[in-house]
Amino acid sequence: MSVIYPFYCHIISEVPVTALPDSNPRAEREREREREEMGIRFDLFILSIALLSAPCLSDLVLSKVDRRVDLTSQIVRITSTLKVENLGTDPVSEVLLPFPEHQAKNLAYLAATINEGKGKAKSSAASLPIEVAHPKEMPPGLIWYSVSLPKGLGKGERLTLDVLAVFTHALRPFPEKISQAENQFVVFQDSAYYLSPYAVKVQSLSVKLPSDPKLESYTKIENTVVSGSEIKYGPYENQPPFSYSSIIVHFENNQPFAVAQELVREIEISHWGNVQVTEHYNLFHGGAQSMGEFSRLDYQARPHVRGASAFRHLVAKLPPRAHSVYYRDEIGNISTSHLWVDSKKTQLEIEPRYPIFGGWKTSFTIGYGLPLKDFLFQTEGKRFLNFSFGCPINDLVIDNLILKVVLPEGSRDISVSVPFSVKQWHETKFSHLDMVGRPVVVLEKMNVVQEHNQHFQVYYKFNNLSLLREPLMLISGFFFLFVACIVYMHADLTISKSSASYLAKLQWDEVQTAIQQVQNIINRCLTIHDRLEASLRDLSRTGDVQACKATRKAADSSLKELSKELKPLVAFLHSSPQAAQILPKVEELVVKERELQEKLMSKHSTVVDSYEKKTGGREIENRVALIQQKLTALRQEVEDQLEAID
Amino acid sequence: MVESVKPISSPVPDAWYPTLSVLMLSIGLVITAAFFIYEATSSRKNRCLAKELTTGAVASVFLGFGSLFLLLACGVYV
Repeated sequence: MSVIYPFYCHIISEVPVTALPDSNPRAEREREREREEMGIRFDLFILSIALLSAPCLSDLVLSKVDRRVDLTSQIVRITSTLKVENLGTDPVSEVLLPFPEHQAKNLAYLAATINEGKGKAKSSAASLPIEVAHPKEMPPGLIWYSVSLPKGLGKGERLTLDVLAVFTHALRPFPEKISQAENQFVVFQDSAYYLSPYAVKVQSLSVKLPSDPKLESYTKIENTVVSGSEIKYGPYENQPPFSYSSIIVHFENNQPFAVAQELVREIEISHWGNVQVTEHYNLFHGGAQSMGEFSRLDYQARPHVRGASAFRHLVAKLPPRAHSVYYRDEIGNISTSHLWVDSKKTQLEIEPRYPIFGGWKTSFTIGYGLPLKDFLFQTEGKRFLNFSFGCPINDLVIDNLILKVVLPEGSRDISVSVPFSVKQWHETKFSHLDMVGRPVVVLEKMNVVQEHNQHFQVYYKFNNLSLLREPLMLISGFFFLFVACIVYMHADLTISKSSASYLAKLQWDEVQTAIQQVQNIINRCLTIHDRLEASLRDLSRTGDVQACKATRKAADSSLKELSKELKPLVAFLHSSPQAAQILPKVEELVVKERELQEKLMSKHSTVVDSYEKKTGGREIENRVALIQQKLTALRQEVEDQLEAID
Repeated sequence: MVESVKPISSPVPDAWYPTLSVLMLSIGLVITAAFFIYEATSSRKNRCLAKELTTGAVASVFLGFGSLFLLLACGVYV
């Protein structure tokens, strides 16, 4: 059983406007005309609601409504505290929030939380789910949102809801065109009464303006008070459902009206320890259009007077431990930026190439790297990126935000969890050392404000072995280079196989081969000599004659083999005409080596003999001394010869 | 649930990248030099294919990882 409330609407056909005495006579007439226009439009809007009046099917009553409108920046934030009471018998599980169409199209963010008194802080309150609703038999021109309550509101129960609604582009610059020296004035329209399908018992509205406000005009109805930078409407009592009384506030607002038409944020994950963020901004000044010419001189001399409506710098709050920060545009690096780093945050102040006046545009790119361990986590076999959704620049309105998360190559089973509704699809991106491309998750959202700076998660699966893809590519690249060298060196690329020079080259190759083999053999001989010398030293230390003899035997046989190997090579060199030059040297080398070998053998036998006869150490030395001298000389000669042949 | 979430960091600490790249690239270049000296000095018949391939493979492993770490140290996170 529900009580049907008749639909009333308080129509204020003439919007009373109180002009403040400071007004500028030049623009006064124009503004008056504009106000009339606005008044007429509003009447039409309200009439359209009134004509199609409809019953409201709910037992809820709002016992108290407090609304605070924050107009201190370009973004309008309306915080409403609703005390909801159920007078009916049936439990109610949803609260309806209507917005006029012209407001709803600017609505960027809407959140409702249950306020459980002062003891429990807001941190405990999770925001309630909100959906677009289409209740039947309701007046057109309204967009409805329904807040689902966690548990139904029974008969006589009450509850306090905090509703935060954020609007962009809700402040209309008026006049729409100003010159460089003029201040920017904006107009804000809303209803003095809370627009609701429920009856409201007591309500009040306070409008907060920027500090030190220059209030051009405001709508004055009963119970209107201006105090400092606040305008207070109310309290108003016992308003029926759908009460509407338009109010207009016209005031100076020189806050930066920075609007990003498009912001593309690209977050690239590298498992080698970095999250690279690149943000492409396409900014414009969304306030009153600049009119007439721009004088740089005037601006430079008195920037706060001759350019009050312009903004010259923006502040971005980057996450802590950001590194490699850059700020550039299509021309190149923009040097007018400052960076402050502390343990909590990294603050980047960027200054566009020129001050941005109304309607002026600029585009630039900022980028920074972040440590991987701050943003990438692992849970139950899955990895997830935990990153902030919105943009790091304060008080920036983003008309269209495109967020791309580039995952490493080889990621699978990708899923995204975002706390609000976004459009999403997948792409592939080719970057450094990619074969199949990296999977990209693209999220798109219109009308993004600071309230959207919430964390979102991208879950995916990744095998650690895929980390080795990049090094393997590099390794195989280098290896192909080496293989190409080997192939080139082995391949015979001569076209004419019968030409004289080619044949000569072939022969020369053979001669070279033979000489290298000879060198090789001589070197091996020298190693055997070294071994024999070592055995002699062992003998003098241990006196083990048998071991020494065994070494000698082995050396003899291998030397014999080597000399056998050497013979055909020398014979070949003899027969080859191209070796004529080098042949004498090779022969000399062979002869010298043989001599060396003989001397060494004789030394070896002498020493071994002496040991067997147990001759004194001094005597052995005397006997060997002469041979030793020759040996050293010969060894030197052989080595010289080897080098000469090289 | 909450305890099982642990941060992921890179397999090699970031601070090592420059050192590693210098070290591995120099080793790789030395081996490459040895490879080319061998190619240029030994005559065609005396060359051993296995030796060439192993030298090339070892050199490319060192050069590959060295250049990877060089890229990472320069800020090109692949």
